Amino acid sequence: MADEHGEAWELLPAYALDAVDDLERRTVERLLDADPDARRALDEYREVVASFAVEQAPPEHLRGAVLERVAATAQATSRVPGSAPARADGAASSRSRRRWGVLAVAAAAVVAVAVPTTVAVREHRENVQLEQQADRVAQMLADPGAQLVTAPVAGGGEATALVSGDDVLVSAAGMPAPGEGHDWQLWIVEGDAPEPAGLMPAASGGVSRALVEGGAGKVVAVTLEPEGGSPAPTTDPVVTIET
Amino acid sequence: MVGQTDEVPPPTTTPVDAALVACSGGDPATFGPVYDALAPVAYGTSLGVLRDPDHAAEVTQEVMVEVWQTAARFDPARASARTWVATLARRRAVDRVRSEQARRDRDQRDLDSSLGSAPRDVVAEDVERRLEGAAVRRCLDALTPTQREAVVEAYYGGRTYREVADRLGAALPTVKSRIRDGLGRLRDCLGVRRG
Repeated sequence: MADEHGEAWELLPAYALDAVDDLERRTVERLLDADPDARRALDEYREVVASFAVEQAPPEHLRGAVLERVAATAQATSRVPGSAPARADGAASSRSRRRWGVLAVAAAAVVAVAVPTTVAVREHRENVQLEQQADRVAQMLADPGAQLVTAPVAGGGEATALVSGDDVLVSAAGMPAPGEGHDWQLWIVEGDAPEPAGLMPAASGGVSRALVEGGAGKVVAVTLEPEGGSPAPTTDPVVTIET
Repeated sequence: MVGQTDEVPPPTTTPVDAALVACSGGDPATFGPVYDALAPVAYGTSLGVLRDPDHAAEVTQEVMVEVWQTAARFDPARASARTWVATLARRRAVDRVRSEQARRDRDQRDLDSSLGSAPRDVVAEDVERRLEGAAVRRCLDALTPTQREAVVEAYYGGRTYREVADRLGAALPTVKSRIRDGLGRLRDCLGVRRG
């Protein structure tokens, strides 16, 4: 942990410049959660980076467009205790909005207030799914002909794929948590367009398991995505397993 | 403080900070002055990174709505409103550079890579022009040429330090320390001290 924090301190200036990749970003954010001195140092670097900004009058029509949207948009009222003012704020939403640009801004208010419900619904759905999958998983685990493939996960941990029949049971051990506002998402890769294959559930006992139906004989990959997953990967895979 | 270009404002609460705090009460009518004071920061930041006025306007719109939505998270003890907005704008602008880059890479995967990679060259005189009026400008002279190059590539190119290292043909740890030492010197030159 001390080593990881040492590395995170090293990355702090690059983080303030948005010059880190997603895994490094999370490494730094763990440090920021744990260490007020790091937050203070980040605040200083942020001020340095902001001093590059040269104010410039935006196109006039923007004012009306923004104020109109503001009038129709509820505020997020709660402050996260101890959270940095400008750290992860909007990180998830900006990432998930990548693909849709300004169109998604209109829905942003809805997203902001609907998060707890969405999470609850998702958990419920995952539980139902898990019950349905439990039989299949038990079958797979008991299959004497099942194959095991393992691969290291970039950023820590190891993923194991148990291949039985058409399906793949992916277990990830020691993988870092995806971080607030993010999920690990599975993909079946065949040809050029990866197919979404569900989210990795939260780890229990350090291990997270997910059933990828129809994944056998293909490549199974995991990427970091905005909470709830994406229709197509927005980051590079942390692990790919050829099953 | 808005419009002040010679030095970084001291970390005391300004009228703009106070206006931003006040608008977290949920009354959209209070947002007009906040927009007027801070939209130029968002637009200038976005334009510096994106260079395209249409993209910069879109990002500014997203950022200013985000400023309204998340006003309650602004903490004047930790950053000025200007810094807060510049940070949000830069994050979004860099996100856009990277997703555009990823899209181009996908579209061009099978084409001649010399066409596909469309390098975002950070040209020296272009940088000088973009820095015109920036508080940081006079302090860039305090950097070694290699520190300056690494910081400027990362800032205007929207690049990760890994990509900066690739472009400069330098080792990763070298670039990481150039960025760290570079920002450290700028911090000292600008007299930025918090807490």
